[in-house]
Amino acid sequence: MMDLTLKEHDRLVKRLNASQGIKNVQAVIDQLQSVRDAIAAVPEEAAVTLAKHHSPVKSSVDAINESLKETHSGLNKYNKALDKLFKDRPLPSTKHDALFKKKHLTNRAIAMHLLREGQFSVAATFLSAITEKRATMEGGFSPRTTEQAANLLDIDEVPSTEIRKQFAAMYYILHELKENRNLLPAITWSRENREALAARGSNLEFELCRLQYVWLYHNKSLEPTNQPGNWKAAMEYARQEFADLGPRYQAEIQRLLGAMAFIPNLQGSPYAAIFNNSSAWEEVSQSFTGEFCSLLGLSADSPLYIAATAGAVALPTLLKLQTIMKAKRTEWTSENELPVEIPLPPAYLFHSIFVCPVSKEQATDENPPMMMPCGHVIAEESLKRLSKGNRFKCPYCPNESHFKDARKIFL
Amino acid sequence: MTAPDKPPETGKLTRRPRGKQDQPLLRVPNELARRNLKATQRLVEREKDYLLPALKDATNAAIAKTKTPDQTLADLDAMIARMKGFKQKMENLKEEETKIQTQTRKRIEHLEALNHIPSLADVKYEQWSRVRLDRLLVDHMLRSGFVESAEALAKENGIEDLVDLDVFKQCQRIFESLRKGETKSALQWCAENKAALKKSELNLEFELRLQQYIELVRSPDPEKKIEAIAYARKWLVSTQSEQNKDILRAAGMLVLTQDTKVEPYKTLFSDERWEFLAHLFLKTHHDLLSLPVEPLLNIALSAGLSALKTPLCHSAYASSSTNSASTATSVCPICSTELNELARDLPYAHHSKSYVAGDAIVLPNGRVYSKAKLMDISRQAGLAENGKVKDPTTGEIFDEDEMKKVYIM
Repeated sequence: MMDLTLKEHDRLVKRLNASQGIKNVQAVIDQLQSVRDAIAAVPEEAAVTLAKHHSPVKSSVDAINESLKETHSGLNKYNKALDKLFKDRPLPSTKHDALFKKKHLTNRAIAMHLLREGQFSVAATFLSAITEKRATMEGGFSPRTTEQAANLLDIDEVPSTEIRKQFAAMYYILHELKENRNLLPAITWSRENREALAARGSNLEFELCRLQYVWLYHNKSLEPTNQPGNWKAAMEYARQEFADLGPRYQAEIQRLLGAMAFIPNLQGSPYAAIFNNSSAWEEVSQSFTGEFCSLLGLSADSPLYIAATAGAVALPTLLKLQTIMKAKRTEWTSENELPVEIPLPPAYLFHSIFVCPVSKEQATDENPPMMMPCGHVIAEESLKRLSKGNRFKCPYCPNESHFKDARKIFL
Repeated sequence: MTAPDKPPETGKLTRRPRGKQDQPLLRVPNELARRNLKATQRLVEREKDYLLPALKDATNAAIAKTKTPDQTLADLDAMIARMKGFKQKMENLKEEETKIQTQTRKRIEHLEALNHIPSLADVKYEQWSRVRLDRLLVDHMLRSGFVESAEALAKENGIEDLVDLDVFKQCQRIFESLRKGETKSALQWCAENKAALKKSELNLEFELRLQQYIELVRSPDPEKKIEAIAYARKWLVSTQSEQNKDILRAAGMLVLTQDTKVEPYKTLFSDERWEFLAHLFLKTHHDLLSLPVEPLLNIALSAGLSALKTPLCHSAYASSSTNSASTATSVCPICSTELNELARDLPYAHHSKSYVAGDAIVLPNGRVYSKAKLMDISRQAGLAENGKVKDPTTGEIFDEDEMKKVYIM
């Protein structure tokens, strides 16, 4: 469909380029000029000259109109191609104005997005525009409704200076890492946050130090040597820094040091993979970004990006549904839950999902998943319905139990 | 438990992404091209109506010898000068046309690129989708009146051809002028779009004229009232009979003062009417360009936030599956502070099946994790050697044999 549109547009452009409109205007000018010249030369024949040229001028003017008709029909054809392309596609709209009322939160999310994407100057422009708008609204009229007033107060939720500083720091570290192959700022950061990272089970500090060790070995510019690698610099680094990493990485560190014994034939050694990992820098950057954001309580990828992309995947289904529901004049049965399943890529699933196998309802705070002594799980409401206060048989195994034996679980 | 690692069963993930929601992207420049043609047609018509009679008059005058040859030459010079001006105007319109079509071409190519992306999981799709987000952000900024930010973002990310900066700038200017109580630029816009507005059901022009009339009536000066009657004759009565009721009301205003408590006159005299006019203009303007009145970002977000949202995202209890204190995987975007409040009132996604790691175990405190991942975390914490495991959410330490298999169907 799209290539049809492209073809039709090509035709339109060709037509427009071939248009003689302006040429014909020039023709009119030329004709008038030659009439003028002729009359200037032979003033007594002015009437004849003028009469003679009247109809050529008119036909040039008509030709201008003709060329416009061409343009008109070209545009019409292209327009038809568009109608075909978007046939039965209503303009998207939403039933929920929940977001409209929360414009200040949308703005905050945008500001955060710009900051985490490293677009600091756009973010600064945007933030000052928000602040300015708030100032004029406060200064000008008093807000009309209490809701607006509440929104104004909430604008203070724009990313704090602290968050902005944090993102600036993150970008500095990433820039050094990616552009200058300088791991030191990242290592410093990971040391400062060692406890929090360890609590998360993160290996970031070790990964950074390992890459530094490998990088020093490969970096001949430090101290030119005849060796295939700069093992002296690498060993020096290992002596100074590795001990600090603690017993957790003992085995890994021994492997790294052991590799040096294979010089000059490191390539043929079992350690070749460690020293020739072309995506090592990319991996380390990603894991750094993820950890940095996590410690701030933020997701590694821009949530706004993920949500907008998920939205693009979900919209066709939701719009279709809207059309069907409008035709049938029905409404969703549950306002809390979307009426259809939207298949998203696996990377877009962040939580475990529990759907009660008995009631087919998703678990919520009000209706949490309950585990029976046999290990099977059903939703609390189903459990109540099944047990009616008595001993009852698990729907999935012969085990019998009592309502009070079941335990709430957290996914 | 970290994010569940087995993908859901769906063959649809390989389906090709489509850009059909991007209707405004092509509709807007198409509408601009049509306007450009209309403007050209008007110009040509005007110049034709000038030139041909002027030429005829000059010929007749020359035949009747009522003008000297010198006078005829002066007439011709005037015609030539005017035609040169005409050509310049034609060139400007042509230039505009070329700009619109170059932009259209880039937009078609942008949408067409989607056809070459095999699946949603492709890296190219991510790049494409980032451009789309930038477009939505610019659209949102423009609609909020943050023109400078919109321009900065469009420029920095090189998507100027994919967004309608000029259209929104003009729209914003007229919108603001109405809110300030000025009808001039809005009426001028109506004149420029006369043909298209005939099909509009919103009667923007009538409402604007009515406002002008109201402003005349408002004045205590009796002269102004007379002026108001003349204005009404000229601009209100001449329009269609559909607005009869409004015209009668307008007439009724003549005998009232602006502090009246009587409806509907109170509303008609109210300053709020400017706000109404501004929004009526916005709606009319967007309708004409096939632009949704809502920001495109809101449309995408309300669908996307819901598709991602789970009952766990606003639960009173910390989710074991993803939270900032626990695992090495990413925080859920809905749980992330940027979007959490925004998503609060939206419905959550529908799922027909549970979706939990295959090796799920439960700890004595009721928390469910993937066994392999829990062991991993415990090993790194140096606990595994002593037969202990650590709950990454609560920090509690348990004996390894306190883990219990849980069956989730």
